[in-house]
Amino acid sequence: MKKDLNKVRNIGISAHIDSGKTTLTERILFFTQRIHAIHEVRGKDGVGATMDHMELERERGITIQSAATYCSWKDYDINIIDTPGHVDFTIEVERALRVLDGAVLILCSVGGVQSQSITVNRQMTRYKVPRIAFINKCDRTGANPERVTQQLRDKLDLNAVMIQMPIGLESDLQGMIDLIAMKAVYFDGEQGDNIRIEEIPAGLRDEAEAKREELLDAVSMFSDELMEAMLEEGDIPESMIHDAIRRGTLSLELTPVMIGSAYKNKGIQLLLDAVNAYLPCPTDIENTALDLDRDEAEVVVSNNPADPLVALAFKLEDGRYGQLTYIRTYQGEIKKGDTIINSRTGKKAKVGRLVRMHADEMEEIEEAGSGDIVALFGIDCASGDTFCSSALNWSMSSMHVPAPVISLAIKPVDNKAQINMSKALNRFTKEDPTFKTYVDHETSETIISGMGELHLEVYIERMKREYKAEVEVGAPQVAYRETITQRAEFDYVHKKQTGGSGQYGRVAGFIEPLEEGEYEFVDQIVGGVIPREYIPSCDKGFQKSLEKGILTGSPITGVRVTINDGSFHAVDSSDIAFQVAAIGAFKQAYAKASAVIMEPIMKVAVEGPSEFQGGVMGSLNQRRGVIVGTFEEGNYTVVEAEMPLSEMFGYSTTLRSLTQGKAEFTMEFATYKQVPKSVAEELVKAFEAKKKEA
Amino acid sequence: MGYEPLVQQNPLRVLNMGRENNQMGLVMARAGLGKTALLVQIALDAILRGKRVIHVSVGESIDKTRKWYDDILQSILQEHSVTRPHELMDMVARHRMIMTFKVAAFSRSRLEERLNDLILQDIFRPNVLIVDGFDFDGTSREALEDIKDLMDNMNMQAWFSAICHRGDQRVSPAGVPAPCHEIDDLFDMIILLKPEKDATIQLDIIRNYGEVVEGGTGLRLDPTTMMVKEL
Repeated sequence: MKKDLNKVRNIGISAHIDSGKTTLTERILFFTQRIHAIHEVRGKDGVGATMDHMELERERGITIQSAATYCSWKDYDINIIDTPGHVDFTIEVERALRVLDGAVLILCSVGGVQSQSITVNRQMTRYKVPRIAFINKCDRTGANPERVTQQLRDKLDLNAVMIQMPIGLESDLQGMIDLIAMKAVYFDGEQGDNIRIEEIPAGLRDEAEAKREELLDAVSMFSDELMEAMLEEGDIPESMIHDAIRRGTLSLELTPVMIGSAYKNKGIQLLLDAVNAYLPCPTDIENTALDLDRDEAEVVVSNNPADPLVALAFKLEDGRYGQLTYIRTYQGEIKKGDTIINSRTGKKAKVGRLVRMHADEMEEIEEAGSGDIVALFGIDCASGDTFCSSALNWSMSSMHVPAPVISLAIKPVDNKAQINMSKALNRFTKEDPTFKTYVDHETSETIISGMGELHLEVYIERMKREYKAEVEVGAPQVAYRETITQRAEFDYVHKKQTGGSGQYGRVAGFIEPLEEGEYEFVDQIVGGVIPREYIPSCDKGFQKSLEKGILTGSPITGVRVTINDGSFHAVDSSDIAFQVAAIGAFKQAYAKASAVIMEPIMKVAVEGPSEFQGGVMGSLNQRRGVIVGTFEEGNYTVVEAEMPLSEMFGYSTTLRSLTQGKAEFTMEFATYKQVPKSVAEELVKAFEAKKKEA
Repeated sequence: MGYEPLVQQNPLRVLNMGRENNQMGLVMARAGLGKTALLVQIALDAILRGKRVIHVSVGESIDKTRKWYDDILQSILQEHSVTRPHELMDMVARHRMIMTFKVAAFSRSRLEERLNDLILQDIFRPNVLIVDGFDFDGTSREALEDIKDLMDNMNMQAWFSAICHRGDQRVSPAGVPAPCHEIDDLFDMIILLKPEKDATIQLDIIRNYGEVVEGGTGLRLDPTTMMVKEL
């Protein structure tokens, strides 16, 4: 059976924490009959919502990993990627966005557009994801969907247009008016599964007419037909409006706004209809890959099932039966028994089991077509790898992976924990490219690093729970870097004669600051003063030197090394001799190159009531921050600042006590900047003290 | 500072305007002629002279305002070879603070409160205030006098932008068009931007240091950067 690609939707559900994303997903799965009972997120029945399948998520009531779930609504196939709501997990969100074609942006009708929504929205814009907004929790006290819609326009810069209006609000929420069909819609029955469509209540008629005008004005931009029909003032067919909204949504120039309450089962079916009607199918979106055989030339994937396979592994999970790999296919088909090639490693793999995932349960399938999201069993790969059939060697463009900014030392409490810990770390690093781990050779401590305090905390919790690995945790360390600020020459001879074959190598040249990029090696050797075969040895030696700087033992970045002279010995020169010579040469030049320490700077946004603005700015200023600006709307203010990460430890506590718990903040990595002199001196001192101790 | 040469083509430098405190300046033009760009130039001129600037954007976002600065700074960097561009950009960031307000949220009392927040905690001591998007149509003379008063008290220079409309023929005796024709006496410096046929912008000074300039002093500006095109 060939699937009609026009009826496939790969969508994400993204939102601010606590705006009810998981509840909404749960309701969608209920209405599409993938699950048979509704569980609450913080359920009394102890079962928990179906999508949050990790114990930890259940306990904290938040969703950490994005699970892909399949369902169908009115013969459309919908794959839902549940995305985490906290910025510390942004890589998860970004990876999910990459494989999505469209998204539903959930907002809380009371809280409105909060800082998290701004981050998520920016990411969606970066990956050009068309979206529908759904204003949830309209049953709550203080609900005001109009205000939230206005915020979508002001804060997110979206051309947001309400296509529904509520009948009653807060505890009086009865249903909604569909402004396209001009009918009132009610949701009867205990779980709202009986939809009752009626005429619009007389009292709301005028308001609905006015809102419809507003809607038509906004969407007529996207359809000449509609514009003409409006000028003729006749009846406008519904399908014409739907088409115009779809066109606007796909071009990212319009964001239809829907309302409802997932908790009260109101508006979910209409949202699903809108997903089918307005969000793109795989062929509406142009995705590109890189052809590795043609110097990474960009190619557009075809979505044609008859073409050779191209699929992206976007998520790994440890299942009971080994590694589970979620993939999205971009063209071609994948069948049980097929041989596929991992274009990063060149390794062949055979497709054993192919499954369609529904959070914790799975359904075995024989094949999957283009544009689908499925999972594979028993394939060894890392997240972000591309799989192709043997005819192609393409890679889906590499995803933007930020460098880790914070690290912690961890120590297993006993032997058993040691084994479990290494299993866990192995798994986590495969799943999450922003999570890194290594062993510090000097202290023999295991170091884990990631994107924020919470990010690492979650992994430590997971180690305890899923892998039973108890670990002791050290104080968080900021990932400093070192770099040079001026050019310096080197000319270094490495000579060793201790009987037997000796070692000899001489390298000369200079190092200089590199504005863009981490490291560059320039070979200007002429006349074979260093033989060809030893040039890579020099490069290797310099790269080794970059691992640890002299000031604080942090990695060195932003250096261009040029070698332009040297000499060798016919017998005593070797690979290792030139490596050692390069290391010596680098040390010599580095001492003269005015090395400085760089620290990660975070973009921080604090939002809360205006009365606390002064205090908030003061607290940021005290922490060496540069306040970029403030945004005020009524009684509500956002302060944006650039802050050194090292000063942000424990800021959430400070902020809470400063603002009576009424303000919150988000933080994401922005850039590396030079540490001020006074701080740098302290860092150097601390590093030297530590060296003495060891 | 070492950055002064970078602003040679800045129109203010050429005209030797905006050097003193406690003054109010006004930039007027029809929509889309580069009022914001000129205001950003004025701000950058002050920053490069070591002053601190608060840029108030009414009805704009922080990001958009910041982008104005980045763009104009980029074009300056392209024209002059600056040895350490990051240091320059850093210094601009440290000498500038952006405040954005919803149209209805901006008032003297609000502004005063914010400025005091900054000054009393010693976070930021501004010398120059830039107000882009001030609602002249909806503001009374008293409100503006109030702000002038505040600037005097704080020993700050302030620059405003105002949009004039093609259809509106009202003009003050000094030649200041609506909507500022009745309050032009509050400003010490008034600049009018006009489009020219050769795609440059003509900058006319209507008043400088309180004296009316007869006939206007013409300067030609490059419309993308608002830098002086020819001297």
